[in-house]
Amino acid sequence: MIFCLTSANDIRTDKDSAWLDRCLSGIAVRDSQALADLYDSTSPSVYAFAFSILNNPQDAEDVLHDCYLQIHAGAPGYRSHGKPMAWILTITRNLCLLKLRERQRISDIPQEEWEPYLETCEQVSPEDKLVLTECMNLLSEEERQIVVLHAVAGFRHWEIADFLDLPLPTVLSKYSRSIKKLKKYIRKES
Amino acid sequence: MTNKETERKIRQAFSNAVPNIRDSVLSDCKTQKGAITIMTDTKKKHVWRERLIGMAAALVLFIGGTAGFQLYKTNFAIDSTISLDVNPSIEIQVNKKEEVLAVNAMNEDAQIVVGDMDFKGSSLDLTINALIGSMLRNGYLNELANSILVSVDSGDTVKGAQLQERLANEISTVLETGTFNGAVLSQTISADADLRALAENYGITLGKAQLIQQIVTQNTLYSFSDLVPLSINDLNLLSESGNLNLENIASSGTASDKAYIGKDKALEIAIAHAGVAADTVRHSEADLDYEDGALVYEVEFKSEGFEYDYDIDAVTGEIRKNKKETDDSYIPPQPVETPEPAVPESTQETKPDTKPESKPQGSSKPAQNTAEESKPAYIGEAKAKETALSHAGVSADSLSKYECKLDRENGIMVYEIEFDSSGYEFEYEINASTGAVVKHKKDRDDDYHHEEPGHSGSGGSASYIGEARARDIAFSHAGVSSDSVSNYECDLDDDDGIMIYEIEFECGNCDYEYEIEAVSGAVIKYERDDD
Repeated sequence: MIFCLTSANDIRTDKDSAWLDRCLSGIAVRDSQALADLYDSTSPSVYAFAFSILNNPQDAEDVLHDCYLQIHAGAPGYRSHGKPMAWILTITRNLCLLKLRERQRISDIPQEEWEPYLETCEQVSPEDKLVLTECMNLLSEEERQIVVLHAVAGFRHWEIADFLDLPLPTVLSKYSRSIKKLKKYIRKES
Repeated sequence: MTNKETERKIRQAFSNAVPNIRDSVLSDCKTQKGAITIMTDTKKKHVWRERLIGMAAALVLFIGGTAGFQLYKTNFAIDSTISLDVNPSIEIQVNKKEEVLAVNAMNEDAQIVVGDMDFKGSSLDLTINALIGSMLRNGYLNELANSILVSVDSGDTVKGAQLQERLANEISTVLETGTFNGAVLSQTISADADLRALAENYGITLGKAQLIQQIVTQNTLYSFSDLVPLSINDLNLLSESGNLNLENIASSGTASDKAYIGKDKALEIAIAHAGVAADTVRHSEADLDYEDGALVYEVEFKSEGFEYDYDIDAVTGEIRKNKKETDDSYIPPQPVETPEPAVPESTQETKPDTKPESKPQGSSKPAQNTAEESKPAYIGEAKAKETALSHAGVSADSLSKYECKLDRENGIMVYEIEFDSSGYEFEYEINASTGAVVKHKKDRDDDYHHEEPGHSGSGGSASYIGEARARDIAFSHAGVSSDSVSNYECDLDDDDGIMIYEIEFECGNCDYEYEIEAVSGAVIKYERDDD
């Protein structure tokens, strides 16, 4: 429990940014281990963020795949500003927008596809399923993005504000409202 | 359930839902040809503009085609050579634009580090970052050995010095890994033909050759060939321990001696071997040294009329040499006439050159005086604090959470000092008798919130009421006692520029949430949620 709490705080500290920067430098010189390391540590954030925008498992998977191809191709041109995660998620977001345009649809529709997909994931526990379904049902797209950026990608609130171009108070209040909603439902269901 | 727990559940759920496409992603990247256009954020457009301008400039230069030679000089001629030595020794040759022309692995370890990476045309910074990443991953840099030497060999001395400083800074930043910090030595090469020949002979980089030469000049007991096999961390430890003043070498951070038994342990072994009581030991000193092909701790101390001298193997703790002599400077605290020897026979000297006990008075101290005599003059808390602060390089008024206590560690009395300053937590152990820094540790302070962009923070954390006080305020406001509370959590958070303690806890069937202003302790917000 203690471990979980600290890891929630530590998920993205400056030292991790330095670590990600080193991975990106390694990728730039075609170090395959560096790419594997980066994938392992960032793929949940990329996937979750793509999902929060697209709300469709197949599209999110496509974006996840293409995102790392772009990271791989773009790493030599990457210049660290101490925000590697923001760079990665910017690529993710752009790919998502492309996807939305390509399919000409709004993100909030295909609810059905989500639950059958979860059935096929061996690792997803019933509680995980509940959490994910509530994230999709209860929250707006923007709320989802805020929650994912903080809880999964480890962004601080002001970093989210910066990244999504929203005022900080908006981020803070939307975040606490969303978490409260989720907490209530998750508790009720379980 | 608390917010943190909810966040953890969300993170876990998404992590588990990531589709298993790792292998296909990795293999697709491997076969990827050419560059894919990266779409950048609107905010970062200037990066593109810069690149476009760069490309246009290159085009103009190319079309102009005026000075092919100039072009050659800028692009293909070696302008500077940078070497990185840890134990892997790597040489990086760059052109005038700091683009990498070649990376040479100078030893086997270096080949492992370089692997199949292709550096040609990459920028110097990126190359160094990737190489250090690989050294960390392959375990060449870790908390046991954290030193790296960066040497710049450039025709242009001014540029060389600038490059040296910049790279040293960058590397120390890269090495702030959280588990340990790096110790970076840096220098510019001013090598004459002799040194170049030496480096070539021993198959080491010019940088390492220059460092070893400096150490040998300062301490003539060492020979050049003796030191060649040592890693940079060992060389750094030797020069730190021997207080060598290496000219032209800039040093930051402290070399790790965690691979060795440590000074304290060496002293403990020596004292145990001497068979004297730890509290009678005075003027103890332990320095790392290199003797007969191995690193040893040279331990010296005095106890009750004798001077002891030990060489203890730094890796195994084995006693390689020991010596016991009478201490001519010894003044017994209360000379009392007592007949003959109280010196334990078991601690007889093993070296022929030691004198027999020539001072029966000094060595025959009655037992009842020991307690009094063993209350040595400690340097005092104020002096210890001053030592720690000056070592940490922080000023007294930037401190918070300062604590100092006198404690015994491995038989030595030390002041244990802890404090926070500008985002770091410092821990020191200062030898209470000698004032020497026995141990020090610097960690990033996770609770520290510095002024973040767009915020007018309300001053340093020193003026906050503290978590304990905030908790008391919340409990008393809620009318609960601390022992009936469960799932308690407290975070210092920045709420719209105001620092607050966010406190959550459960009591009975209720969830409580408090926001308490960190400076004034005022309850800004509270919520009670009946389950």
